[in-house]
Amino acid sequence: MAENAIDAGKKKNQKTAEDFTYIGMVLHRLTRHKLAMAGAFMLIAIFLFVFVGPLIWRIDPNLQIESLEGLLNPASAAHPLGTDDYGRDVLARMFFGGRISLFIGFVSAITAALVGTLVGLVAGYYGGWADNILMRFTDAMLSIPTFPLLIALASILGKGIWQLIMVIVVFGWMVDARLVRGMVLSLKEQEYVEAARAIGASANRIMWKHLFPNTLAVLIVSTTIGIGGSIIYEASISFLGFGVQAPFASWGNMLQNAQQYIWTAPSLIIYPGLAIFMTVLGFNFFGDGLRDAIDPKLKL
Amino acid sequence: MRDYIIRRILGMIPLILIVMIVSFGIFSLVPNPFAALTENPRIKRADVERLKHAWGFDLPWHLRFFRWFGGVVRGDWGPSLLFPGSTAREVIGRALPITMRVMGLEFLLALIIALPIGILSAVKQYSITDYIVTVISFFGMSMPTFWFGLLMMMFFSVLLKRPSGMPLLPAGGLMTPGLEDAPFFVKFGDRLQYLVMPVAVLAFNSIGGWTRYMRTSMLEVIRQDYIRTARAKGVPERFVINRHALRNALIPIVTLVALSAPIVVGGAAITETIFTIPGMGSLIIQAQIKADYPTAMIALMLSSILVIVFNLVADIVYAWIDPRIKYS
Amino acid sequence: MENREVLVDVKNLRTFFYTEDGVVPAVDGIDLTIHRGEVVGLVGESGCGKSVASLSIMRLIANPPGKILSGEIFFHGEDLLKKSDEEMRLIRGDKISMIFQEPMTSLNPVFTIGDQISEAITLHQKIDAAEAKKRTIEMLRLVGIPEPERRFSQYPHEMSGGMRQRVMIAMALSSNPELLISDEATTALDVTIQAQILDLMRGLQKKLGMAILIITHNLAVVAEMAEFIAIAYSGKIVENASAREIFKTPRHPYTHGLLQSIPRFTERKTTEPLPAIEGMVPSPYHMPKGCSFNPRCPFATERCREEAPELEELSPGHLVRCYHPIEY
Repeated sequence: MAENAIDAGKKKNQKTAEDFTYIGMVLHRLTRHKLAMAGAFMLIAIFLFVFVGPLIWRIDPNLQIESLEGLLNPASAAHPLGTDDYGRDVLARMFFGGRISLFIGFVSAITAALVGTLVGLVAGYYGGWADNILMRFTDAMLSIPTFPLLIALASILGKGIWQLIMVIVVFGWMVDARLVRGMVLSLKEQEYVEAARAIGASANRIMWKHLFPNTLAVLIVSTTIGIGGSIIYEASISFLGFGVQAPFASWGNMLQNAQQYIWTAPSLIIYPGLAIFMTVLGFNFFGDGLRDAIDPKLKL
Repeated sequence: MRDYIIRRILGMIPLILIVMIVSFGIFSLVPNPFAALTENPRIKRADVERLKHAWGFDLPWHLRFFRWFGGVVRGDWGPSLLFPGSTAREVIGRALPITMRVMGLEFLLALIIALPIGILSAVKQYSITDYIVTVISFFGMSMPTFWFGLLMMMFFSVLLKRPSGMPLLPAGGLMTPGLEDAPFFVKFGDRLQYLVMPVAVLAFNSIGGWTRYMRTSMLEVIRQDYIRTARAKGVPERFVINRHALRNALIPIVTLVALSAPIVVGGAAITETIFTIPGMGSLIIQAQIKADYPTAMIALMLSSILVIVFNLVADIVYAWIDPRIKYS
Repeated sequence: MENREVLVDVKNLRTFFYTEDGVVPAVDGIDLTIHRGEVVGLVGESGCGKSVASLSIMRLIANPPGKILSGEIFFHGEDLLKKSDEEMRLIRGDKISMIFQEPMTSLNPVFTIGDQISEAITLHQKIDAAEAKKRTIEMLRLVGIPEPERRFSQYPHEMSGGMRQRVMIAMALSSNPELLISDEATTALDVTIQAQILDLMRGLQKKLGMAILIITHNLAVVAEMAEFIAIAYSGKIVENASAREIFKTPRHPYTHGLLQSIPRFTERKTTEPLPAIEGMVPSPYHMPKGCSFNPRCPFATERCREEAPELEELSPGHLVRCYHPIEY
């Protein structure tokens, strides 16, 4: 078959690849992935913008100009992106809002991945009724329309950054749980896990020492894509006013009042939205490349 | 097949129970759901007490649950606080068809667009078409729906105007007031205008993900041995793709589409809010803002059941496409 | 034998694959003649290009990454490589058909086997559905499938590997082809099933009289069936002769080595291991200079390492590509 010839060709490639470490190989493939590199550049640009920007542009993001002329200003030298409805400098708010949006995105996506991993490990390793109950619960959680529930939780827990992170975690762990469970089910049949069990390793040890590391690569991919998703959740909840509260800025809550000014100051809609879009796009591009580099057949 | 469907329907029962418990549980966690009412000087204290009693808030939570559960099952959903004078059932009865209409159109539009484009992208892998489709799909997946909605509104309702000075597309609502008694086609066309933006916004998001997944699935299928067999027996290329490959490639898509139902319902909530469409999504959000927890609870539960029913349909479609599904 | 009509004449076929890691000359000079009604074996280790050669005859090489660079494939005197895609499609499954190595994955899982065979029939014969079904059941009976009427509406997953390979044979023979290409068709099967399928093919060949090209890595498979055998190594034919001569007087050192590694039950006196050919098949990215077999050849000389030998007719009908053919 044609594959024989190509396989034979790949073998040669793998020989050189064996000289690399696993990480080296993944990096090598990643750098050849156009979209991943585009994503990486976008993310670097955004991080520089958010973290280095404020060092250059030293204006207090919460400083309000107390005159009517200061409100909803168009772009000018004093305010490169104009001012918002409170007369605050939009560029400065973009920096600080970005920090908060990214922070929420990272923390909630990683925490959700950890919770999902825990559920998936337990369900997959123990099987039986534990698996049954956990997976039924996961399925039920997956059928509840996320968004209305996010808001419900946000209104119970109160409004704030940490509450928002918790809300995103509560509704963000299910996909990872299923993913990890699926992997654990196939991993635990393998000899080395059987062997570990045979020599009396504890369940805890087997789960974290033998099973978890094998799911890590996949979890990294899913978390990368998950950060993008969390940022969108943050933005959506804050947009509706249930998320990050004044005086803090986030890209989402900057959009909160913007809809009112769609006729008068459309730039208030464009900048924060564009920042969210570019960031999420960056994470999605990069995550896609990462998946291809780790295992192109992975279904995520 | 019939047994399979019956078993699937029975399998929904525990899911629906969990969903009911979660819906109830979440709103039971609200420290004092009647705080907003108590603060409102126009509402009499006695009325609040009456409501508390009606909702069983003078009972321990488990008794309250059974009482609520019984009410839900009997169809007695209580009064709506959001729309005084209406029952929750009437309010939801108005909102549900609207959401189902938006969602139905959205699913239809997204499938009609995403599947052929995904197939095209796979068949022409690594072509310019494929690259363009890939990048646009990622745009769809990465664009926050509400922001895309605002952009659309900016473009079609603010920037572009008709000669009459009216916006090209209405910025929100369901229909132009005053057209209630117009002939069917006028009414139909009028309503359609209002649906264009919300449906397009929702669909763009789904199209992104589904196109991508269809492409992956198709690529996986077209390198299978049975595709080579089809070619070896002289099947014309378009039937190789549309008959032999497509049916296999659709199998995982059914699951994906079913899994994305809660996201679409969720997305509908925010889109409905932006475009001021009085559907289930904006009802849940409005009910929460106005502390109408009884209505929010039921609306959330019904939205979830909608998703579960959708999954049931997906399961049946799945069994219909894939003969390997075991019915036993 | 000499006056039999030539059916297929492959001349200097070269098919390369252009991969990310370099160019793979999978087939680099294959010559092959098949007469009407004749059984020919094409034998070689995996990666020698024998499968690519057979897929090239069917014009089923995916482009990219594969490309038929040069050569001619005459079928009834007409060059298949000059045919349009549509002309070629009408030949596939009608005049030339093919069965593959993996019966488990070569049938489409979502269609009944009856559907899949009938499709092959209606593609090439102008008959209606009822007629096609009759013919399908007839074919199923011909390949020894019990209860063909019931099997007609079964799906591939309801059948064993051996049964599925019978279905593949029924499908391939449904239009009375002049040439059947069997690409390792028995390799994936259990030994007893393997023998049954070979028996079936032999019986059908006698009955229907088509020519068969048997592609295999296993000389024993062709020993009982083939009249002529071509030995391939690294994309080239290295020896081509009647089966008798190949087994009695192999002239190429590689053929000799292959024969030595076949277990013989008659002279089994010692427990010494079977002699194997030293070394490995060369990587297609790093073909050795000169004769591609020289690194493994016990008779290799300076000349073998410098220039590549041509295929030469050493005795009537016995072609060998070697500077130092074994003498008897």
